[in-house]
Amino acid sequence: MTLPIQTDVEAKRDRVRELIEGVLSLDQLADLQRETKTGDRVEIVLAIEQARVSWDDRILVPLQESLYVVERSDGARVVKCYCGQEFGDYRLNWKEQALVYERHPQDGVVFQPNKGADPVWQSLREFYCPGCATQLDVEPVPAGYPFVFNFLPDLGD
Amino acid sequence: MTTTTPRSLKERLTESEQLFRETGVYESDLTMKETDPVTFEVLFTRLLQTLTNAREVALSISASPSTREQGEIIFGLFTAEGDAVCLSTGLMIHVHTMSRAIKWMINNEYETKMGFHEGDYFFNNDSFIGGGHPSDQMLMTPFFVDGELEGWIGGLTHVTETGAVEPGAMGSSFTSRFAEGLILPCMRIAANDELFYDFDVLVDRGVRSSISWLADNRAKLTGNLIIREKVKELLAEVGLDMYRKVCREYIEDTRRATHEKVRRSLFPGRYREVAWRGVTIKNLERLMHSPCELVVSREGRLSLSFEGLPSAQRQPFQSTLPLFEGMLFNGLIQNIFYDLRYNDGTFLAIDLHVPYGSACNPDNIQLPTTLWGPAYGGMQACSQAVSRAYFAKGYREEVHASGPLTSGNLAGGKDQYGRHFGSQCFEFASSGMYATSFMDGLDTAFSDFNAEGDMGDAEIWEQQMPQVWLAREIRKDGGGFGKFRGGNGIHSLYLIPEGIEMEIGAFGSPPIFSTAGLMGGYPAAALRVWIGTGTNVRAQIEAGNPLPNTEGFDRPVPQFVEDVEADWHCVLGQNVPTASLEPFSLFSVVSGDGGGYGDPLLRAPVDIVRDVENGLSGSRVAADVYGVVVTVGTDGGVAYDKDATESLRAQHRRERLQRGVPAAEYKSRERERLISGDIPEPARAMYRDVMQISSIWAAEFRSFWDLPEGFEVSE
Repeated sequence: MTLPIQTDVEAKRDRVRELIEGVLSLDQLADLQRETKTGDRVEIVLAIEQARVSWDDRILVPLQESLYVVERSDGARVVKCYCGQEFGDYRLNWKEQALVYERHPQDGVVFQPNKGADPVWQSLREFYCPGCATQLDVEPVPAGYPFVFNFLPDLGD
Repeated sequence: MTTTTPRSLKERLTESEQLFRETGVYESDLTMKETDPVTFEVLFTRLLQTLTNAREVALSISASPSTREQGEIIFGLFTAEGDAVCLSTGLMIHVHTMSRAIKWMINNEYETKMGFHEGDYFFNNDSFIGGGHPSDQMLMTPFFVDGELEGWIGGLTHVTETGAVEPGAMGSSFTSRFAEGLILPCMRIAANDELFYDFDVLVDRGVRSSISWLADNRAKLTGNLIIREKVKELLAEVGLDMYRKVCREYIEDTRRATHEKVRRSLFPGRYREVAWRGVTIKNLERLMHSPCELVVSREGRLSLSFEGLPSAQRQPFQSTLPLFEGMLFNGLIQNIFYDLRYNDGTFLAIDLHVPYGSACNPDNIQLPTTLWGPAYGGMQACSQAVSRAYFAKGYREEVHASGPLTSGNLAGGKDQYGRHFGSQCFEFASSGMYATSFMDGLDTAFSDFNAEGDMGDAEIWEQQMPQVWLAREIRKDGGGFGKFRGGNGIHSLYLIPEGIEMEIGAFGSPPIFSTAGLMGGYPAAALRVWIGTGTNVRAQIEAGNPLPNTEGFDRPVPQFVEDVEADWHCVLGQNVPTASLEPFSLFSVVSGDGGGYGDPLLRAPVDIVRDVENGLSGSRVAADVYGVVVTVGTDGGVAYDKDATESLRAQHRRERLQRGVPAAEYKSRERERLISGDIPEPARAMYRDVMQISSIWAAEFRSFWDLPEGFEVSE
């Protein structure tokens, strides 16, 4: 019986996939951390992420957990959730297209009064995906603070 | 025959800086590295080994737990002009702060007015010159070859008492620099390798527990001396020309490597994060944001701007520019440049904008800068921005939320031996670690500024500051909730014993969430101080009853508050100016927790089961936050109900869709609040201040809320 030969490239791709899926052992993770960063990881991750999603738009960059900048067939570059929900042009803050819930910081559901901020000072601004309800960001901010535009990738356009 | 006059250090420094400005490089070539890379690396390793060995020797001379046990010490080797060539392990904040102090002496005529001689040692804890705050104390010594000053050695420790108005150096009540204790700007305190007796007298009479300061001076002098002799041995071996050349190449090599590391590791783009601090002094209450903008260019340039920082004022939650530079480079070195040489090459490779007159670059040296405020937050915001840049580039093994807002207690008075004491308890050096994209943050094992992650033995701390630890436990549900949760910090409960005089307080946070989460993770819990006076603890001891020892989990008030009859006072946040407490009083503090990562509903249920089993979380949090239905068997075994969990998580998602409102609707509502002035004062004070000093931030604020030009937040 001949066992399939796994190349270094394939092995690395498997490790990165396990990292993304959260199942990589800490020993292997430490090996990854020690590796010289050669700049080519992004290609591996893009291939893995493209295979994970159920839609066909080409992923240009993973923006954060659950969100990607994709290029649609019509050429538009938009922010898109893992579930397929779109958030509009990537040059605008995706939070403008999200659902927002302002949580009392001591509501006893997430934080007990013993652990929450003083509501005079801060509350919690939670951003949800309208498609799958994933919590995409939590901003601990005072009233009136603008949404933070966390990341505008340089895609050369 | 013609003679040449040796150039002064000031001329050499001016030329060096001018050359860098004009050419953008520190050294035009890397000939040594390219022609003899083995020798190049061997020599650097010898320097690094020398510095690290000296640090280990110095540690054992120090009498301070923060230096000896927690490793709050670092040594560095500098060029004659003051550029850092190589640093030991230790406090990476000070890669550049000692460099600043040496350059300050050079620029302020020390060479002509004081003279530099081998065996001189200059002490500095003026953080406007270099260092972090008066606790950060450096000792610098020049060394000479053939009569010419060839370089500098520097050592720095964090000392836990400075003779400030509050004991323990880091009081939250300071409104002036003159409250911070003894601040000594680049003073010569030794000649011929001997410390001046009158300086010892000054310290002994000027601070409460002088032993920490005095023994640390001896530790630093010894370390410097060891390094000086070893470096001179190496110099004699390789020759002056090669030594000078490699030192410049080490810096230039790091500068180039910094750009290359950025290019290979981070996705180009613009990143923005914000961290929070605040002032809790009466009538000065206000929030302070630390708005970080990180720009990564395709060529590997990294630019940081903090446009929009609040103004510097008469309060201690702010920093000097050297400290802010130090904090930022501390974060950058730990997050990106950990595998490069630690020296000024990294500093030269990065563009930094910190508005003059802001809370991280004050325009008045008489302001206090004790507790750093948005400078500490700025480092954490920068680290989150870097994490996003790693994420986009695919390096998820480097991604994490914000580290803890380390915070702790201060105490002073007279101990059981009749000795005056004053100190800060440095157990907060092992706070809760941030969550990463692949695992929970470690509990009680981390601080951003100190890689040792050691809390020190409580028994040793009790010798330094004689409160008695009734509890030192992992804080329950302190770390931010998330797919991976932030690490929990320490909760400590102190008893004020009989037979001593003690004033006790704490420093840390305003009543806000203490640090941010990332990508859907919650921030870490807010900090609290509980003070119990008039307690029944004495009666409980006499009756042989159990003493209070835990905060419990998931309770509106801590369990020890329920267990002890007392006049309880709770301070939201953790800024408590020191005050006397009677024997058998209780004082409870927490050290800070890490931020969470990712949506909590994506957390693996088995991880919640583990937290419940370990007593770190309860079934209420499991269900309400994580949507996991935990069951406890008759044998005490913890498990989760898979079907019920799936059902509960689906319900949580439905509720999110029901309660969430479209962002446009939310913004419209918030806009009306702003226009009507329905904004609590801590934020209003910040908006008014920031919009006044930063037209750029003000314009963005008005644009976001679609407010007319000239709109101001009402008083």
